[in-house]
Amino acid sequence: MDQRILEFIGDLRRAEVRISPSEALDALAASTEIGLGDRDTFKTALAATLVKEARDRETFERIFNLYFLDLQALGEGLKKALGPEDPRVQGLLDQLMAEEGLELDELTELLMRGEGAEMEMAIRSGGRNVGLERLMYFLQVGYFSRRIADNFDLSAIERDFAEIMALLEAKGLDPGQLARIRNYLELRLEAFRRMIRQHVERELERRAWRQGEKLTREVLADKPLFALTADEVAQMKTVVARLARKIKDALALRQRQEQRGRIDTRRTTRKSLQYGGIPMEIFLRRRHREKPKLITICDVSDSVRNASRFMLQLLWSLQECFSRVRSFVFVSEIAEVTQAFNTYPVERAIEWALKGANVDYHCRSDFGYAFSQFVRTELDGLDRKTTILLLGDARNNYNDAQAWALRMIRERVKGIIWLNPEGQWGWGVGDSVMPLYAPSCDLVRECRTIAQIGDVVDNLVHHWWRRGR
Amino acid sequence: MFQSVDEVQQRFRDARYIAGRRISTVVYLASRMGRPVLIEGPAGVGKTELAKTLAEITGRPLIRLQCYEGLDEGKALYEWKYAKQLLYTQLLRERIGELIADAPSLPEAVSRIAGQEDAFFSHRFLSPRPLLSAIEAPDPVVLLIDEIDKAEPEFEAFLLEVLSDFQVSVPELGTIRARHIPLVVLTSNNARELSDGLKRRCLHLFIDFPPPAEELQIIRLKVPEIPERLAHAVVAAVQKIRGMDLRKPPSVSESLDWARSLVILNAQVLDPALVESTLTMLVKYEKDLERVRGALDKVLAD
Repeated sequence: MDQRILEFIGDLRRAEVRISPSEALDALAASTEIGLGDRDTFKTALAATLVKEARDRETFERIFNLYFLDLQALGEGLKKALGPEDPRVQGLLDQLMAEEGLELDELTELLMRGEGAEMEMAIRSGGRNVGLERLMYFLQVGYFSRRIADNFDLSAIERDFAEIMALLEAKGLDPGQLARIRNYLELRLEAFRRMIRQHVERELERRAWRQGEKLTREVLADKPLFALTADEVAQMKTVVARLARKIKDALALRQRQEQRGRIDTRRTTRKSLQYGGIPMEIFLRRRHREKPKLITICDVSDSVRNASRFMLQLLWSLQECFSRVRSFVFVSEIAEVTQAFNTYPVERAIEWALKGANVDYHCRSDFGYAFSQFVRTELDGLDRKTTILLLGDARNNYNDAQAWALRMIRERVKGIIWLNPEGQWGWGVGDSVMPLYAPSCDLVRECRTIAQIGDVVDNLVHHWWRRGR
Repeated sequence: MFQSVDEVQQRFRDARYIAGRRISTVVYLASRMGRPVLIEGPAGVGKTELAKTLAEITGRPLIRLQCYEGLDEGKALYEWKYAKQLLYTQLLRERIGELIADAPSLPEAVSRIAGQEDAFFSHRFLSPRPLLSAIEAPDPVVLLIDEIDKAEPEFEAFLLEVLSDFQVSVPELGTIRARHIPLVVLTSNNARELSDGLKRRCLHLFIDFPPPAEELQIIRLKVPEIPERLAHAVVAAVQKIRGMDLRKPPSVSESLDWARSLVILNAQVLDPALVESTLTMLVKYEKDLERVRGALDKVLAD
């Protein structure tokens, strides 16, 4: 069983669940403590030792089900597959076994008793013998099924059957009954062959899943945002949620009390009274790390529609994580959507931001106009604690860029970060005015793929807020 | 301590704590493997209670370390009683004077005092905090480290060291090794992600809101005077409210509070007016309240 658990751990690792060797050892120890008697308990034991993140539980669940079959359920299923149990025939056979002291092949006994779990184990070990781990394609299923079947001595079973029939005939059963028993045994053997094939197919499924999973993740992470299909968008949601979580975690690590800084005379003096006025313990004034104050401004024009979906998703999550976030969207007019993001669930909020906000969606995007309008209405609300996160391709449709507006904003705030869903090669080409805006930004990043968003987020967290710029 | 998972479950039950199969399994494993258990889950599902009950059924004393921001080793492990040391030196000034009165030179005097140092840095002047108490305890204990996510990551790293060796070194006294490995329970509300190292050391247990049947059991057990019909109605309503995407869905502790207040009000069935007036026991945010009020007929529908 240990072998099986280790294989299972290997697959969990391949599915990006991080498991250390010590955890693997724990899992083995736990399974020894618990035993295999009860599937759910066994599963809990493995989960407790291997899965330490809530997000990995689903993966664990899925792979566990592929690995550790629900033997009881399987047994039931097999009983059905083996055909209806004929109590009369069964009774007759049992009686026969007891009376004659028949030496039967192990497998024949299994078949006669119809123990699903044990049969499955037998097939599994047969699979190991013929190198089932080499199974790759659907076309190999037949081959491997045959190999496993060959592994069992089927001729021995035939022999056993013949012997049983001979004995029964000697007992003087009538031909009709004999035929029925013969049929009963044949059916069981046939079902057993079917089980072998099913086992191989399940194995293939497990492998295919492993391959597929890896492929999806790699491909998705590097695919440009605007080229994603609706399905992929849905899958991405989890990725974005994970990113948001990362930001939240990094910021929640609150600053430790600093070792240097100004002395808090009040507390130090008070404490010194205990020691007869000698300041044995020094207290330092606590520096509060400022909570990030964030304003996000997102382009929602048609040209960047798919990318904005993501960005909005990121904004929504950000707003959920932090108390002081305000969100704006624009095409050429700019409008605040903070309220909507606070009230609506994510799907609806995004739909709303893409269709229902107080901006004209039918015109062409005009960054200059949006920024100048922002300056007119919001400039007073900006301060040194504010960070502005801009999301857009800076394709200004040959309108006036009004770079002065962004400069003015920059003077008031802590910094501006611009994430551009367009590749760097396009910046400044055609109607892109990125080079005009870039000098006012502290950080300009290409953000075409989910992997890049990930990098940017890491970067933000580490260099922007943590260093306390 | 425990012979089987079933025994764990039964003994928790006897102590009036409904532990599901998963909880019992993990507790059993922890007791067999000597590993700490890290319990995560929403507030009010009985994480701390689990540790308390565990102490109760094993007959071990419970030592609790409540974590908070700014908690440091001094408050968690041990502190020297400076004031007492100072007081003793004052009182003993004359004796110290005698001791060095006939010292021929300053270095000689210093070394004589140094020879007595142990008198001041001894157990007498050490005030043990929860972690040291747990390690020093003559009998096995249950150590509860509550809300570990509230403490800083540095503290976590320090804790890791203590939890992996169950020994502590006090520079003046040397290394103190645990006589018995304590049963350690850590709880976290997930305010921040815990470090991998800590998670790796621990068995992980996620306690979520209990399924309806289990919650019904809990309510019957903790509020025995509740009419059967009312208990069913309470569980059904709470389950629905939890499904409503609230900022803070009601937890087990809240549904217990609610059940108790309904019993005090002598309610037999849930009617809208009654629910409306007691809803604050269950839902704690204004926005959530509005939401639940708006959907009250759905909540109460069978």
